[in-house]
Amino acid sequence: MAGEVQLIDLVKRFGDVAAVDGINLEMPGAEFFSMLGPSGCGKTTTLRMIAGFERPTEGQILLDGSDMQFTPPHKRNVNTVFQSYALFPHMNVNDNVAFGLRRQKVSKHDIKSRVAEALELVQLTGLERRKPGQMSGGQQQRVALARALVLKPAVLLLDEPLGALDAKLRKQLQVELKALQQQVGITFVYVTHDQEEALTMSDRIAVMSNGKVEQVAEPQEVYEEPKTTFVADFLGVSNLMDATVLTRGGEGHTRVKVGEFELDAGRGEAGVESETKIVIRPERVRLEDHGTTGPNRIPGMVERPVYLGNAMQLLVRLASGDIVQVLIQNAGEEIPYKQGDPVTVYMPAEALRVLADTGTAPIEAA
Amino acid sequence: MTTHASASERQSFNAWSRARGWLGNPWGRPRFLPAITWLYMVWSIVPVLIAIQFSFNNSRSLTAWSGYSTRWYWGNVYSVWGNTGLHSALFQSLKLAAADVVIATPLGVLLAIGLARWRGRGAGSSNFLMLFPLITPEIVMGVSLFLVFGHIFTVIHTSTLAQILGHVTFSISYVVVIVRGRLFSIGRQYEEAAADLGASWWHALRLILLPLLLPAIIASIAITFAISIDDFVISYYLSCGGACDTVPIIIYSTARGGPQPSTNAIASIMVFITLITVVAGYLLYRVFTRGESGSGSMTGDLAAFDL
Repeated sequence: MAGEVQLIDLVKRFGDVAAVDGINLEMPGAEFFSMLGPSGCGKTTTLRMIAGFERPTEGQILLDGSDMQFTPPHKRNVNTVFQSYALFPHMNVNDNVAFGLRRQKVSKHDIKSRVAEALELVQLTGLERRKPGQMSGGQQQRVALARALVLKPAVLLLDEPLGALDAKLRKQLQVELKALQQQVGITFVYVTHDQEEALTMSDRIAVMSNGKVEQVAEPQEVYEEPKTTFVADFLGVSNLMDATVLTRGGEGHTRVKVGEFELDAGRGEAGVESETKIVIRPERVRLEDHGTTGPNRIPGMVERPVYLGNAMQLLVRLASGDIVQVLIQNAGEEIPYKQGDPVTVYMPAEALRVLADTGTAPIEAA
Repeated sequence: MTTHASASERQSFNAWSRARGWLGNPWGRPRFLPAITWLYMVWSIVPVLIAIQFSFNNSRSLTAWSGYSTRWYWGNVYSVWGNTGLHSALFQSLKLAAADVVIATPLGVLLAIGLARWRGRGAGSSNFLMLFPLITPEIVMGVSLFLVFGHIFTVIHTSTLAQILGHVTFSISYVVVIVRGRLFSIGRQYEEAAADLGASWWHALRLILLPLLLPAIIASIAITFAISIDDFVISYYLSCGGACDTVPIIIYSTARGGPQPSTNAIASIMVFITLITVVAGYLLYRVFTRGESGSGSMTGDLAAFDL
């Protein structure tokens, strides 16, 4: 399947600032690939380089194996769905969608049938005569999609296309986008800062920070087995704690010390340093009655319960001084913890992960 | 009875508290500013209206009204039409304005696109230099153009062509400022989208950028026409004598010699022409920006300078 994108040692500098700082990524054809990161991490710049709006300072972009260095944007077989949609305001839906086909000198008859087909794909049949200004945000979004897909590109680039929509519509369109991608079977490169969006739709995610790729993996792996502190922190809420490595137990078993408490971490591997960080997801932490003893348990005190609707979030201060977030699903039962209650915090070894790389800042070699 | 009394009491209390409310609340609806604004408008418009009125006077007097007539516009040798000097001045003014619009608008639009899209060294200073004609005193511009055409490019000398070039020189800046403002507000996204969909640079310009710039182009035409019609200093310096005299020059010279109703008449014609241009420009602007959400008004687009 065509639509293979390769980024090789890609660098983009604006003056002295490296917006993209040496990226290597491979997106096989027909993949839903997301670039996830905070604003300023270089994800949009990378996308704009693939589209051809920015020229790489260094490195190569290969599209189906051919170098794109001297190919201007209008000659690339990629299309973009812009964050602001960029629908031409003086043209109606039909003319917007037909714009690209007319540039390709497709016959009038074919234009008509392909526009109709594209509008059907995004469920906008019947709105051909509307101007963009007369449509809702969600409808404009669909027009932008139809306008790009009608050209049957090898790769579709999407720059935070759901960013301007309200939460409910966004959820609905996430599902539709994923279905659409499977239906048309082309590569989607999706840029977002919303981790939930990336997790629900992507085949693979590249988590980016400061112009570099932190981790590339499937959604589950990125969430469950974050490689770096940044990834662990950026994807959902994580409890990060400083820890000292006591013994390295080989394959996925490390004994660490947090404050004066010893814990078994069942996942991840300690790096070279003995000072490291351990991480656990809030939904994996369990609260037990005060005084319960056993391995991987630290006494603590409820500092603040927060009602979230579908769950109860508790901030618990451990005896080691760290604050841990605990998430208890709302199953209809009353959650008995109040502010100031003493509790025992149980962090199961199989949910506790040692991070090999302790930060985005490069660690000086000793 | 008692209810009635208490009602009127409540009424007076309300009036009192309302009065106190708007005296005591400086952030409420302004009351004095509109009054002052209206006073100013009357003050600045009434002399013009009086001048227009007396251009229709049936006698020579500019102070005593003796009935309606178009004798100063049409007919005898003292009317605008009957006086060769006056009507050739009118045609000269219109000719200059039309040539100015035809030359300055396309050049200004292209210059604005170039300047707005130019990134890198020299872009900032060039953008600043474009404003230079706007802040240079017109008399300085007039004198320098006179020196240039009179001593360096002597082929041109003082002529209608020199006047046209002079008008174009300073009106281009207005076009650039108006068009560039709109370019910045529409951003690069539409051009990028066009390129992304396979449009060449030329197609993107013709099919996307120019239609989106149309309101600014219309505003530019109206402004260029109005300031060219209005111009005195540059037209005067580059004038070749009688045949190059424009309406402002004629008005200036005759008004000093002794006021004539025909001077009023030709001035009124100028007011009508300018008014028609601006109103037509405004209407077209409204037509072309219809359906644009959150876009500014033409006055907003033009607020960049004080005209």
